[in-house]
Amino acid sequence: MIRIILSSVFIIFGLLLFATELYGVNKFSFIMNRMHAAAIGDTLAMMSCMTGLIIYSGFNATSLKLLLVVVFLCFSSPVASHLIMNLEVETNEKADSHFETKHIEETEQDPKEGLEE
Amino acid sequence: MSKLRPSHEKKREVRFSEWMDGSVDPYLGNLELKPQELQKESRQQFEERIRDYAQLNADLYDTEKNKGVKAFNLIYKISSVIWILLLIGVMLLTVSYLPPNGGADNPANNEVTERYIEKGLQETGAVNIVTGMILDYRAFDTFGESNVLFIATITVLILLRKNKKMHNEFDMKDDTDEEKYEPKSDSILQTVAKVLVPVILVFGIYVILNGHLGPGGGFSGGAIMGAGLILYCMTFGFEKTERFFTENTYKWVCFTALTVYCLSKAYSFYTGANGLHSHIPLGTPGAILSSGLIFVLNICVGMVVTCTMYTFYAMFRKGEF
Repeated sequence: MIRIILSSVFIIFGLLLFATELYGVNKFSFIMNRMHAAAIGDTLAMMSCMTGLIIYSGFNATSLKLLLVVVFLCFSSPVASHLIMNLEVETNEKADSHFETKHIEETEQDPKEGLEE
Repeated sequence: MSKLRPSHEKKREVRFSEWMDGSVDPYLGNLELKPQELQKESRQQFEERIRDYAQLNADLYDTEKNKGVKAFNLIYKISSVIWILLLIGVMLLTVSYLPPNGGADNPANNEVTERYIEKGLQETGAVNIVTGMILDYRAFDTFGESNVLFIATITVLILLRKNKKMHNEFDMKDDTDEEKYEPKSDSILQTVAKVLVPVILVFGIYVILNGHLGPGGGFSGGAIMGAGLILYCMTFGFEKTERFFTENTYKWVCFTALTVYCLSKAYSFYTGANGLHSHIPLGTPGAILSSGLIFVLNICVGMVVTCTMYTFYAMFRKGEF
């Protein structure tokens, strides 16, 4: 009984996050705000729902597979959001009017350049 | 419809019905999307295009001077029409012999499914009935599919591969510039790919080897392995993948896989058709080394699919391995 209540708490929390994601994606007009909303759904909401399902299923092979799915998503989806945002920063034509970019200067010098000089 | 207030256009219901009709795109103007511009062609460009097309035709098929080409064109058109009519006739004739659609006595409703379900495990040794059907009863079909993949890759190779002999110096210089200015891969992506790529490849191998025991098989496992290879190539560049995957690797892996498939299936078809005893043991159902040839065929199909996916990616991105 406690297990069902705990898992339903996790799943309902995840569904609420999915609702906020959908609202944000349709509400905001600028791509970075929309991407922020979508990334919440991709990471935290998905992981919360999966955790709820793991608790509901108990300790067996199915929950182990679900755990692997959680680990995989935990690695992959933030990176996917990061890469999409990176592309937007690099290709936006009106970047200066929307946001300010700070280019990190590379401190390491290329060893070949020193040799040639 | 006659007396409408001017403010009615802003009502929620009207906007909803407009959105339902598709007459107004709600995202246009609100987001940073740009509407696609219609392609406009001036009168001069149109005339130029028509003239170029006519000149190209005249240069290629000089019909006025060359009577043979003209006759060949005529014969080609007539014979193509006759050939297509013949094909349609054969198809319709075959269809007329088929049993009526949805009949209760059709063989597909009784004998075939019964045989697959009742004797599938005993005859093929595969716990997964679908794999048993695909790679044993209908192995010829799957062999054709693998060959289709191979032929598609060869066509892409013919069309997109760079020929280094044909390039002059100007083109070669362009290529090196392009590679120099190609955006360097992200360090976050590289760190994650170091962890994920081995996991993806091992999972793909698991799906291929587990094909006769559970859901999976050559096609899905090969797709997973191909995706892992593409991720590796995307993150670390072609220099790293060239160490283990070149054109020769592709050629030999595909050739060996298709030959092994062809020979092993030819053996089982030969023994099955002539009523001979097959020497390949089926093993105990459920064990990893069981179900005879299906285990080998799954690996062959998986290899072909993996190589095809990676080759498509390499060809469309760079034009060489």
